[in-house]
Amino acid sequence: MSGYAIRLQELTKDYAVGFWRPSPVRALDGVSLDVQPGEVLGYLGPNGAGKTTTLKLLMQLVYPTSGRAEILGRPAGDVETRRRLGYLPELPYFYDNLTAEELLVYFGGLFGFSSADARRRASTLLDRAGLGAERRRQLRKYSKGMLQRVGIAQALVNDPEVVFLDEPMSGLDPVGRRDTRELIRSLGEEGRTIFFSSHILSDAEALCSRVAIVAQGRLAATGRLADLAFETKGWELVVTGTDDGALEALGLDTATTQVDGRYVIDLPVDRPPDQLLPELSRRGLRVVSLTPRRESLEDFFMRLVAHREETAS
Amino acid sequence: MSGSRSASWWERPAVFAVAMATLVALVISSAMVRDRVYAASRAQTQLLYIPDGAVLGRMALSFDALLADVYWIRALQHYGGTKRADSEEKSYDLLGPLLDITTTLDPRFNVAYRFGAIFLTEGYPNGPGRPDLAIALLQKGIGEMPDKWEFYMDIGFIYYWWLQDYNAAALWFEKAANVPGASWWLRSLAANTLAAGGSRESSRTLWQQIYESADNDWIRNEAVRRLTQLQALDDIDQLIGAAQRFIEQGGRPPESWEELIGAGFVAGVPVDPTGLPYVLDSSNGTINVSSASELFPLPGETLPPPQ
Amino acid sequence: MAVIPRIAVHVFKESVRDKVLYNLVLFAVLLIVASYLIGQLTAGQEVKIIKDLGLGATQVFGLFIAVFIGIGLVSKEVERRSIYSLLAKPVRRHELILGKYAGLVLTLAVNIAVMAVALYAVLGYMSWVETEEFRQSWEAPATDPAMLLAVFLVFTQLMLVTAIALFFSTFSSPILSAVLTFGLYVVGHFNADLRNFENVVDSPTAAYLARALYYVLPNLAPFDIRAEVVHAQPVTLGYVALTTGYAAAYIGALLLGAMFIFSRRDFK
Repeated sequence: MSGYAIRLQELTKDYAVGFWRPSPVRALDGVSLDVQPGEVLGYLGPNGAGKTTTLKLLMQLVYPTSGRAEILGRPAGDVETRRRLGYLPELPYFYDNLTAEELLVYFGGLFGFSSADARRRASTLLDRAGLGAERRRQLRKYSKGMLQRVGIAQALVNDPEVVFLDEPMSGLDPVGRRDTRELIRSLGEEGRTIFFSSHILSDAEALCSRVAIVAQGRLAATGRLADLAFETKGWELVVTGTDDGALEALGLDTATTQVDGRYVIDLPVDRPPDQLLPELSRRGLRVVSLTPRRESLEDFFMRLVAHREETAS
Repeated sequence: MSGSRSASWWERPAVFAVAMATLVALVISSAMVRDRVYAASRAQTQLLYIPDGAVLGRMALSFDALLADVYWIRALQHYGGTKRADSEEKSYDLLGPLLDITTTLDPRFNVAYRFGAIFLTEGYPNGPGRPDLAIALLQKGIGEMPDKWEFYMDIGFIYYWWLQDYNAAALWFEKAANVPGASWWLRSLAANTLAAGGSRESSRTLWQQIYESADNDWIRNEAVRRLTQLQALDDIDQLIGAAQRFIEQGGRPPESWEELIGAGFVAGVPVDPTGLPYVLDSSNGTINVSSASELFPLPGETLPPPQ
Repeated sequence: MAVIPRIAVHVFKESVRDKVLYNLVLFAVLLIVASYLIGQLTAGQEVKIIKDLGLGATQVFGLFIAVFIGIGLVSKEVERRSIYSLLAKPVRRHELILGKYAGLVLTLAVNIAVMAVALYAVLGYMSWVETEEFRQSWEAPATDPAMLLAVFLVFTQLMLVTAIALFFSTFSSPILSAVLTFGLYVVGHFNADLRNFENVVDSPTAAYLARALYYVLPNLAPFDIRAEVVHAQPVTLGYVALTTGYAAAYIGALLLGAMFIFSRRDFK
């Protein structure tokens, strides 16, 4: 038992591309990473960096070309270890003809829970995911955002010690993202190990103590977020209790998106919120959330590469 | 695949190979046993249940011609298999229906009409001996392709050779001659048949014409065989003449070839054109080719099919 | 309950609610009932027509059900990626294959049973309605229990076709799997003619090749005992046993192959 919750050692994956004379394409190249128990790790990278490949290797949906992956001291893919894991795939899709409740009861049964026990867990989890009202509706009728929530619920059916989430925020509107962030945070507080991937920096910011950045199949950087310098490009501010008039008066762009009486406002980088917030509260507006918009991971990575080349020369 | 994957017990190469091999062996052996034990009765029933050609055609959608090929092969197999089998009683009952289906599925299937007719007319035990079915099949072909003079000629031939109805034969040869593009000799063949049908000479002429105009080996070989049979008939005429002289001289029929040789009426034991000796049957005074000869049975002596 | 039965039950539930399946079965039942009317048009041949059409409909619709449900359950699931969350559970890959197959067979059994019941209902009605002397003219009784044997062999054949569909869907896309399975089905029915080849072709190599193909490709014609049953020809238990044994061995080989391929593949 190594003491790590998750351990990747020189993990490499080649895909054979092409039909007649397949040539290998290296999706992941010698990635090594350790995750402590109870840690919340953000696995970040631009699209196509190899994030999903890493998760699939961890869940043994694909087999490594070389290197190894271990979860809770056992090799990835060990069937018994899966009893202690949860997994949310990217853009999840389930079974059209089942209801959300039936899906969770089915999966619960696969873990060996009795039907009564499984039903109870299903109920709790669906409530927690905000789907309590829809639990008896067939999954074919679910929106993308709802499917995402079901995905998270089914990942937690067995009360897992380690949870793997592949792009958990994709397909969600800002409110959904906030709810999911809260969910992940609470899971972390419960002492579970969370490994989640994303291509959006700000997702990680709210949740992770540590991040690992991967690009073009290689691990580019790991460390505490604060230690890695990301540029802020602006903020996303969500408020309620106001109307178009008040916002205009504040000089805020009124061509903002509005959902359920909530306004989502894009603040440019030259308008830092710390000056704005007191103004808002004075006018009786309530702030729902404030999220910095960081530079994209592509930009960060390109800056990193450019910086390296600079220092090298 | 790196070795970090735990393989189940059944995936180990030895176990997997043995299991697969065993299953494959079971598949093949069960098929073999089933075929050996039940093939005959199955074939019988399957063919009993011959579907209607038109219905089959509709069901086969655009694959009629392909299905026709399948049924043609089945017809060939039925004919060839029955002919070659050692069984006492041979039944060619299904040849007609199979040929009918083949030609309904593909009405322009020339070979099926012509060769089908040939198989149908072959006398028992080499075939069902059904010239009536053969004529019907060829008439079906004429219905589809009225410009095929070969079909008319084939019908005429059946009347000539198998039914010995020389008037009808001449009629059909005449009809064939009237089809544009027909062979030039058909008209004289019609005339000959009318004048001297049934004579060995006109038969010889007919087969000679067939030999010369044949467009494939099978028909050519058949013509040669028939001509050889006619040759044997000529030989037998001569031998009967010799036996007759023996009777006039000795007052009794000869008992064997040796007697005839001794009396100087034949030079040696006579052999037929294929090299096998002729058989002298003193009990009923006949001379014939040996039953082992390729030329057996001679024309005019086909056995009747079993009732 | 172990994992494989759970997966099987899930497959059954998912299939039974599938609209396509529903419509197929409904259509089959309607056709069987309509065969009664069709039978009235052919003087004296009603029973034969109903039996022919009924068994034929069961066969054809059963085939569509087998292929589409079979493909849908692995190939489509892999394509839509719903298989990812399933594979993350404590389920071994080969258990998934076996569970899927068991569920498919269960679905098939229920559907075939429904069609058989409809067929027997129509035949029973036929029998009840006609006069005694008319009934004597039938080659075999309307509600001949031998028909059950025919249905059983249809079911066995479809179990084999389902195994073929499952095998292909472990590595092919849904469309390709469907095409290959239907293709093998057609070939399987003319397989017996391959054996006749040696009587027709001259080259011994071609004959050997034909023989080998005959044994390797599935031979589906022996499962069709419609002719025997309709004409009241006897079908021995030995024959049924051998044919079923053939199916069992072939299915075993296919499942073993499917398990092997499925366990080793990457899910890109």
